[in-house]
Amino acid sequence: MNARISVPPRFSAWWSALIVIGLLSGCAATIPKDALRLPESTLDIRSIQTKTFAAPSETEILAATIATLQDMEYNIDRIEKPLGVITASKVSDADSAGEKTGLFILDLLCAATGGGGCDAMSSAKDEQHITLTMVVLPSLARSGEYVTRITIQRVIFDKEKRIKVLERIDDAETYQQIFANLSKAIFIQVSEND
Amino acid sequence: MIRSIQLFPVLGLLLVGGCATTTPSDVVGAGTQLQIRQVQTREYDTLDKQMTMRSVVATLQDLGFTIDQAHLDLGTVTATRLHEYTMRMTVTVVEKGDERISVRANARIGESSVQDAATYQDFFVVLDKAMFLTLNNVD
Repeated sequence: MNARISVPPRFSAWWSALIVIGLLSGCAATIPKDALRLPESTLDIRSIQTKTFAAPSETEILAATIATLQDMEYNIDRIEKPLGVITASKVSDADSAGEKTGLFILDLLCAATGGGGCDAMSSAKDEQHITLTMVVLPSLARSGEYVTRITIQRVIFDKEKRIKVLERIDDAETYQQIFANLSKAIFIQVSEND
Repeated sequence: MIRSIQLFPVLGLLLVGGCATTTPSDVVGAGTQLQIRQVQTREYDTLDKQMTMRSVVATLQDLGFTIDQAHLDLGTVTATRLHEYTMRMTVTVVEKGDERISVRANARIGESSVQDAATYQDFFVVLDKAMFLTLNNVD
């Protein structure tokens, strides 16, 4: 029996190309071009996330920062005092009544039309993991003042523990509220130690 | 003559085999160490280690990262950014003697490590600016 494989030249070239492309592209990731470039909105976002406070010492303002985070029900994960970095996180409920109602109706309609796999409710938001970093450092420009910068991001999971949303928190109101809380905490901290 | 349909399983195996197995390079890394290191590293002689690390933290925050950990002694900062894709960065700051400081950045997007020079160049452009501001006592 003739064991030679005979493939027309054009055909073999096509298969070779396909095989090479398959091997090369199978595992390569696409790196976004601007992954580490400053976005246009950097200065705006930086000003929302940053506030300067006067405090008697670094220890006082760090203590006030930790107290503020605890007031907001965060767990303190890590503190690196020489670099002023405090990392905190919390898990909270992400359920939204409006969303649940909508998804419930979807499931109801789906079941009514006799369709299988009616499971829209499982894609409702279940919990959110929020990570917050506060960096508190002596101001380089003004002595006796401390510059605080906060960055916050969250992951929202659905009821099946699938990731639904990955996002950075960018709204000014959230940061303003945190800074208002911190301002009060600094005042209390300083008054208690006077 | 072999039929084209008989090539399908072979092609399938090649495509799947290209990605599916755990090879040592998954764990150990695939690139040449020196090449990757050069792309990921810059040296500075303008600020001390602590101020350089302060600038690194500011750079990462400007790029939208949340700092996970920072250690002054070890000179390491790790950070994560969640937005469409998950990106993690580790930056190490090491004193080299002669007042030189070496900064090495290592980025991963999802399951892959970032190895292209242009991305790291972008990072160091931002870090250069942050170091300049720190050097000139601008918050």
